[in-house]
Amino acid sequence: MTNNITKADLSKEEQALIDQFLVDNQLFYGPDPEIMRNHGLDPRSDTEERILSAGLDAQKVNMVRGRLTAALDETHTMVEQMGVAPGAKWGDLVTAIFTANGDMAQTGTHGIVVFASVCQYPVKFIRKYWVNEPTVGVRDGDAFIHNDSAYGNIHNTDQSLMMPVFWQGNLVCWVSSTIHEGENGAIEPGGMPSIAETKYDEGLKMCPFKIVENFQLRRDIVTFLQNSVRDPKLQLADMKVKLHSIIRLRERVLSVIEEFGIDYLQGTLRKSLEDTETEVRRRIEEIPNGISRVNTFIDGNLREDVLAKMPMEIRIEGSRMIWNLKGTSPEFTNRSINVVMGSMKTCLLTSLILYVWPDLPKNQAVFSAVEVEMDENSLVNCSNEAPNAMSLLPIFRSFSMPPMTMGKLNYCMPKRYTAINANTYSQPATLVYGGLTQHGEVTGNFCADINGNGTGGREDKDGEHSLSPVFGYMADTGEMELAEEELPYVRLVAQKLAKDRVGFGKYRGGMGYEQIATVKNSTEFGFMTGQCGSKHPSAYGLFGGYACPTYPMARIKNINIFETFKNNPEQFDFDMITLMNERKITGGDYYVQDAGMNFELCNEGEIYMICQGAGGGYGDVLDRDPSMVAKDLEEELISPNLAQEIYKVIFNPDNFVIDEDATQQARDEERMARIKRGIPYDEFVASWVKPEPSEDLPYMGSWGNDHSTLVVSPPGEKRYRIPAGSSGVMFSNPKDRLIAELQAEINTLKKTQGC
Amino acid sequence: MRRISVDIGGTFTDCFVAWDGHYIGAKALTTHHNLAQGFNDALDIAVQGIGIEKRSILAGIDSVRYATTLGTNALIERKGPRIGLLVTEGFNSTVPLSRGRGYGEGLPFEKQRDLPNAVRPDPLVPIQMIRGVRERLSYNGEVLLPLDENDLREKLRQLVDQGAETIVVMFTNSVVNAAHELRVRDVFLEEYPSYLLGAIPLLLSHQVAGRKGEYSRAISTIIDSFLHQVMYHGLGTLALNLRANGYEKPMLISHNSGGMAQLNSTDALQTVHSGPVAGIAAAEHLAKNGDLGNIVATDMGGTSFDIGIVVEGGEKHYDFNPVIDRWLVSIPMVHLVTLGAGGGSIASFDQLYNTIKIGPESAGSDPGPACYDRGGMLPTVTDADLLLGYLDPENYANGRIKLNAARSRFAIEETLCDDLDLDVLDICKHIKQTADTNMGNGISTELGSRGYDTSEFTLLAYGGNGPLHCCGIANSLGVNRVLAPPFSPMFSALGAGNVNQMHIHEQSTYSVLFDTTANTIMSDYHRLNGAIEDLEKRGREDLLRQGMNSNDIQFRLEFDMRYGNQRVETAVSSETTRFESVHNILNLIQRFHTRYGERFGEGSQAPESGVRINTIRVSSYVELDKVDFKHIKPVTEKRSVEPVSQRLCHFVGYDKPVMTRVYDDSATKAGSFINGPAVVTTKDTTYLVEPNWSYHASHKGAVWFFKRKGAA
Repeated sequence: MTNNITKADLSKEEQALIDQFLVDNQLFYGPDPEIMRNHGLDPRSDTEERILSAGLDAQKVNMVRGRLTAALDETHTMVEQMGVAPGAKWGDLVTAIFTANGDMAQTGTHGIVVFASVCQYPVKFIRKYWVNEPTVGVRDGDAFIHNDSAYGNIHNTDQSLMMPVFWQGNLVCWVSSTIHEGENGAIEPGGMPSIAETKYDEGLKMCPFKIVENFQLRRDIVTFLQNSVRDPKLQLADMKVKLHSIIRLRERVLSVIEEFGIDYLQGTLRKSLEDTETEVRRRIEEIPNGISRVNTFIDGNLREDVLAKMPMEIRIEGSRMIWNLKGTSPEFTNRSINVVMGSMKTCLLTSLILYVWPDLPKNQAVFSAVEVEMDENSLVNCSNEAPNAMSLLPIFRSFSMPPMTMGKLNYCMPKRYTAINANTYSQPATLVYGGLTQHGEVTGNFCADINGNGTGGREDKDGEHSLSPVFGYMADTGEMELAEEELPYVRLVAQKLAKDRVGFGKYRGGMGYEQIATVKNSTEFGFMTGQCGSKHPSAYGLFGGYACPTYPMARIKNINIFETFKNNPEQFDFDMITLMNERKITGGDYYVQDAGMNFELCNEGEIYMICQGAGGGYGDVLDRDPSMVAKDLEEELISPNLAQEIYKVIFNPDNFVIDEDATQQARDEERMARIKRGIPYDEFVASWVKPEPSEDLPYMGSWGNDHSTLVVSPPGEKRYRIPAGSSGVMFSNPKDRLIAELQAEINTLKKTQGC
Repeated sequence: MRRISVDIGGTFTDCFVAWDGHYIGAKALTTHHNLAQGFNDALDIAVQGIGIEKRSILAGIDSVRYATTLGTNALIERKGPRIGLLVTEGFNSTVPLSRGRGYGEGLPFEKQRDLPNAVRPDPLVPIQMIRGVRERLSYNGEVLLPLDENDLREKLRQLVDQGAETIVVMFTNSVVNAAHELRVRDVFLEEYPSYLLGAIPLLLSHQVAGRKGEYSRAISTIIDSFLHQVMYHGLGTLALNLRANGYEKPMLISHNSGGMAQLNSTDALQTVHSGPVAGIAAAEHLAKNGDLGNIVATDMGGTSFDIGIVVEGGEKHYDFNPVIDRWLVSIPMVHLVTLGAGGGSIASFDQLYNTIKIGPESAGSDPGPACYDRGGMLPTVTDADLLLGYLDPENYANGRIKLNAARSRFAIEETLCDDLDLDVLDICKHIKQTADTNMGNGISTELGSRGYDTSEFTLLAYGGNGPLHCCGIANSLGVNRVLAPPFSPMFSALGAGNVNQMHIHEQSTYSVLFDTTANTIMSDYHRLNGAIEDLEKRGREDLLRQGMNSNDIQFRLEFDMRYGNQRVETAVSSETTRFESVHNILNLIQRFHTRYGERFGEGSQAPESGVRINTIRVSSYVELDKVDFKHIKPVTEKRSVEPVSQRLCHFVGYDKPVMTRVYDDSATKAGSFINGPAVVTTKDTTYLVEPNWSYHASHKGAVWFFKRKGAA
């Protein structure tokens, strides 16, 4: 029998002693829920309260803000120019300034906002744990490195360096620099392992720690990090890049203080945040009360097919806006596509900035007025132990759900801040690579094609072909000649718009493009992909527009295309569909699979084919201007048969001249046919809604509108239900399942054959 | 020296004449229907100052040099032929997709970040005019897939059938092996000899741009092709006009590389932005000739604010992938940053921060600021300048435009007063200060990102609004001295008359100077020297063809270098033009190390990642006579000048209006000294001497502004 003392038995003094004892003897400074769960602004500090209460001159504040923007632009350019990681060259980076408390207050005109906003968490961690820790401390000239998303990051392929800025001995703000680095020593090269089963398979896991003292990198720690990754050159070079950019940013901030005074720096940072939050609240109040919903689904976890639900509901209740993601699939505890809550929220923030209110400043306060509801242990709010290197799959949905839900709410608004748009394609459709280059260097990273998503159709025009990544603007798909100079791959098809593969609508989505790659001059080089969307579409239509199609990947193995080029060049077509349908290359093994592929070595001349995707369509296809269909036909973006079938346009097949009368008639007939097919809504609901998902569907998440219970259907196991938030899902190893299947076949054969 | 140089801009044609020590500048309106007329008008005004009739001047002149925005305008107006584009099969959508980011090139960031409204510019080559040809070269020029000539002939036929008026060929990696592109030319001539169809121009990408980067090289070739006809006709008309007026020598064209060449040795692409670049070239000469040290050259006009950097004894600043109109191209162009800030920039209310925002929208010159009285209803920087008392409504632009202050006041009252709860004049001060600060921040970003300290620079202010805003910009920058150069309103024309005959040739290369995997230093001197020799040969041939003397030809060798696989390419000039030892290589690496450290901070260098040369560049030039600027430094004489009048002006930081003396052209005589506040209005421009600044005129019309010591 034990006699535990309860809190009630303790005096205040005793409780304080115990609390201090626990603080002094803490085993591990893990991710702090108090920090990680709070996306709001910190309360004003005493200093901020004093400054803002006294009042600031708006014009002077504007000048300070301008100076800081100039400094951020300068340092952004530095990182972009100096950076070695492919991500840095293509715009996957940012520099930012934070308040002394760690709120992200400002980024430059360019850069990835989500990288900056997610850094609020590690900055706050450093502030809380290391400032007063005698073995660490935070001093002028220090900087801290970080990449672990459990402490605040998108995934651990992104690395940040954060530096405190001191003025007259006081910590007055923070500056940071972040780059998508790629290689990080994970179980697969390139930094985004799809086969990671635990977070310990994901390579470097840097909680925020000091790596710079007296403005210099500590070589012992640098060596440790270089020793932990496949590309030690990249690791060192980009740490230097980040360090020198934040040193420059710190200098610029100090010059602002010298010119305008410390109060104007700290006052401006805080005031920018508060002004932004005020403006967001004003915009929320503009929207009539109501609810808008969208259900989205992810069709794979990069190891097996699953249909994981990610719903979103936005409620406007007066001055409150609530974003509800309850009902989302439970976390996949041994799969790498989970997301930390903080990461998810900062992506939702970015979505608002990119697709709903692109005129707002790029700071953390854009989202601080939004209330968020999520289930624990879900795909969008995973536990600390869940791997998340490929969090991009749910995260990309965080960029596509808000434009849909907010678009529906904003449609009635007299003033919109940008166009209402259907979904941009939301998959990282790019080849991740790794191995030995033709120059004898070890590398691992990904191709810039991730920046070429087709955008959705809009309220007044078609989407644009392959325009940007779903998470940023002015990013770059690069030049293939320069990439091939550094890497041993050859892009047989670099960029060729994928005919017919688009979200149709009154305004169609922008298209994606085919990519066909092979390897040359390396015996150890391979590819993987980290996308899904091969069975369920990834970009939805809006107001009657079609979703984008699904995209598989294809491979032709056991060939050397360079031999084919020499001996039978006519066997090669620069087109994925023809290659796979006609299979003219002799001796090849042809494979079609879902778009997520774990890393595999590519022998010289073997072919890998994927497709960058299209945006969703906007509006009814029958409302599409026939002349726009004719233009698509002329540009060979759509096949004549498909144009006729989808858009009901009648044209001369030789010159695509539209027969307007016949088109009108065909469309009228289709409208009548629709009416004929239609049934009353109640009847539709009665026939359409099922009590549970089809038996053979590997479904995960809530079913219907009841989000309190989640359906769990792991492959190879019996379906079950769990209370929302209660636990994650463990998957068996696909190889074990395959072995079990084969064993079963053997057993059957043994029985039937009698051996 | 007897020379005429002309800068044909969108609104004005500026002319600068140097005639035996006389320097005369003149302005006339650009006549878009016939550029020669505007040129004649400007020249007529200029020759009046010399007192010799125009025909005699033209007969006796050494050279006539043009900088023109003709190409820029043709691009904006999409005046060009129907182009057919042949690319390597598999790269069919490279041009239409424009690296994704192409939608935002040349736009202000407010539009770049508005993804839901993003729209690519109308294409120069529509998708249906692009064909892929079966062929492929590797990164080092190895033939992977031989050129399929049957396929080529078929694709050519398709493009011709579809009405291609010119053909552009861009094959992947053609800059390292041009055989396939050259073969296209032969096949094209076989299939379509000129006697059959007339001349359909055919341009090969490797002959337009020597760098890797298939998209930017394709666009460069497309623009070259697109502009060729309009430039040919436009400049040809000018040449005929000159001939008709007695000028017998070849006409010279300013290039955006900072050099110039005869018309027959000029690619259309090289003429775009040649006007603003000529201004920077003039600034460079001014700095060198006048011993002025580092200069940041700024040109503030009606719609834009151009920034260029000239560093004493330093590297030339080039953009290798500049944006022309909305297109990213591959051409070595003198570095020039253009901000959307000018007299026509519109002021609006920033609701979020309860303050004023300037731009990016501009009223341009049509309808122009509200005070132009041409229908503009929105307040601009010029409107604020007028109400603050800086501009003379009767003598603006030499009296060509009468300003209506009531319109300015109305525009500000209607759009800003209620929201800001401020009176008109306070708002005008905010507009002026914000505009100046924005331009100052632009300069600061530009200098900072290149590793320079603004306090080590003299601000050079020219363009229509430069001398008016330069003190405000300098205040914002923390710069204490400003030079409004001689002939500041036609400074680019002056610059066009001051450049060397020059050609730049480049070659992409993958030359590892320091291989950190093998721990070796490059020793293949033969290959490197061979490439340099080839580039020199091409430059020499260009200059010899234009009648230059072989002995006068000089070369400048530069390398674009990088650490490892980083993006930045730091231009490093080489002391030696041939490499023969480890010592030469290590010396080059050290020069790179020093230059990089200056730019990004000492310690930022990363030689342990390896050191590479990506591009070899040779500038071949002949040094020509220049306008003499030796005596433009501040003079010791300080002569007081009598004001012609006085009026109340309003200044930032002053609650009450200040009685301000006003001066005329007589204040531009060397030695004239004026303490601010003051306004100097000449027939070509307005100089604003803000409080705490002084004005000191030097020789040849140069004006210095100095911040008084101790002034905040």
